[in-house]
Amino acid sequence: MPSSCAADPQGGVRKPSPRGRFWLSAGSSAWILVAPPVLYFLAFFVVPLLYLFFVSLHVPSQTELYGSRVTLDNYLRVATDSFYLRIIRRTLVAGLAVSGLTLLIAYPVALAMVRMPARRRSLLLMLLLFPLMVSNVIRAYGWIAILGRRGVVNNLLRDAGLVQAPLPLLYSVETVVVGLLTILLPYMIVCLVNALLTIDRSLEEAAQSLGAGPLRTFFHVTLPLSTPGIASGLLLVFLLTLSAYVTVQLLGGPQSKMLVSLVYDGVMSFVWPRAAALAFILLGISLTITTLMLRVLRPQRVEGRG
Amino acid sequence: MMRRWGALAANLLAFLLILGPIAIVVLVSFSPGDFFAFPPRGLSLRWFREFFALPSMRGAFLLSLEIALGASVVSTVLGTLASLFLARRRGAVVSLLNGLFLSPLVFPTIIIGVALLLAFRRVGMPILPGLVCAHVLIGTPYCIRSILTSLQGFDVSLEEAGQSLGASPVRTFFLITLPLIRPGLLCGWLFAFIVSFGELNTALFLTGPGVTTLPIEIFAYLQFQGSQLVIAAASTLQICLIMVLVLSIERLVGLTNIVR
Repeated sequence: MPSSCAADPQGGVRKPSPRGRFWLSAGSSAWILVAPPVLYFLAFFVVPLLYLFFVSLHVPSQTELYGSRVTLDNYLRVATDSFYLRIIRRTLVAGLAVSGLTLLIAYPVALAMVRMPARRRSLLLMLLLFPLMVSNVIRAYGWIAILGRRGVVNNLLRDAGLVQAPLPLLYSVETVVVGLLTILLPYMIVCLVNALLTIDRSLEEAAQSLGAGPLRTFFHVTLPLSTPGIASGLLLVFLLTLSAYVTVQLLGGPQSKMLVSLVYDGVMSFVWPRAAALAFILLGISLTITTLMLRVLRPQRVEGRG
Repeated sequence: MMRRWGALAANLLAFLLILGPIAIVVLVSFSPGDFFAFPPRGLSLRWFREFFALPSMRGAFLLSLEIALGASVVSTVLGTLASLFLARRRGAVVSLLNGLFLSPLVFPTIIIGVALLLAFRRVGMPILPGLVCAHVLIGTPYCIRSILTSLQGFDVSLEEAGQSLGASPVRTFFLITLPLIRPGLLCGWLFAFIVSFGELNTALFLTGPGVTTLPIEIFAYLQFQGSQLVIAAASTLQICLIMVLVLSIERLVGLTNIVR
């Protein structure tokens, strides 16, 4: 491939570098290779999102996908309606509860896993990975089987003669939080384990040999050094909480709707511009939370030092 | 000593919370009675028979399999092309494309679902191809991540050796590159298959009359017919399929390298 030399981005008159000669590193042929995935992502990801945004800026219409008049009403209505605001607040509180609780439960687990022999650790990680492959609808159904009217808990309580009528354990925000917590816990553990594994153990030893107790070592050395894992875990869990429609619907019922339920309801009632606006409000919230979390935790402090 | 017990308790609690619901679903699916009973009184395959006797469930199961197979293959091809590019070039374009290709992993998928539904309405896309396209999009980032990992330890001089000995680029790719990145490729395909097989948030909007995937069928059934044991059987089938796949790929390449 003699032409690839000229297409080398560094250019200039020099003897062909081995990298430049190879077809996949060469200029034009590499672009041909990457074109299919790029076009695919443009057609099925970028352009539909832009179109969704475009639609969100129009008035609803009875006959068409959207009316012809451009407006910000779809956004303003959500921002001024107390019904929407209450649900947005509930979504944020639930998201914070889920991500905070997963962090609290996952951290000791991750710490214990990091100190295990490597073989046992990878076995446990496999055990964590498996539930992530099972569809969320099944994992939510597991909680229905435990907490439902004929579920495990109510059966046990009835058999023990403790209750006459089944307890209503499903359909509350708390149930949604518990369900999401268990569904998303593996992500947090994996993120934390990966972060904790990169910490140089000699740093902790240094702190201890200088007289710091185990607690002090943890709060001044281990915890700060694991912020990249904490940040990515919290972000992942929070973002996945925001779009977990099926879990919210199955465990929360009609009484504990979240923002994602509003997006779904908007689509099902065919009011496209409003559904689009709600989707972008959801996106805006996720971007805001991402920025805030990265500002507060500043994981790059740790990563920058390598 | 206290610390060890604390760590053990935290581990037990976490694994119980994570695996407990799944284990209960599997146990319950073998119960012979009409209603949910835990612990189950006896064992039977009754609900599995009922599952396959329901045309809507059987159809959804088969369609899910077909879509997952088709979409994961396309995802793997797209992912390979993208990874080869991302792994071997540097610069602003690469980091931009990297962000683009991996963003569906953290992007609220429900928004992708709404956006695709609207776009498909606009251009009059039929239901089934639209659904497959969405599944390809959702699966590709997993492939890219996995293939990129296996390309990171890749010695380019092997390819150069092939080419300097007169092999064409295509021949080099199939004889040298492909066998060397095979573990990453298989893991990526496996992930794309599993993600597609369990996909909810985009399928929620993109399925339609007669074109329903298993997770969506289960969801609809749970919402409108209450929790019946046939759902437990459907879940157990899905879990078994995933287990068989994971174990066979583990046999082939070893999964421990994709945990991160």
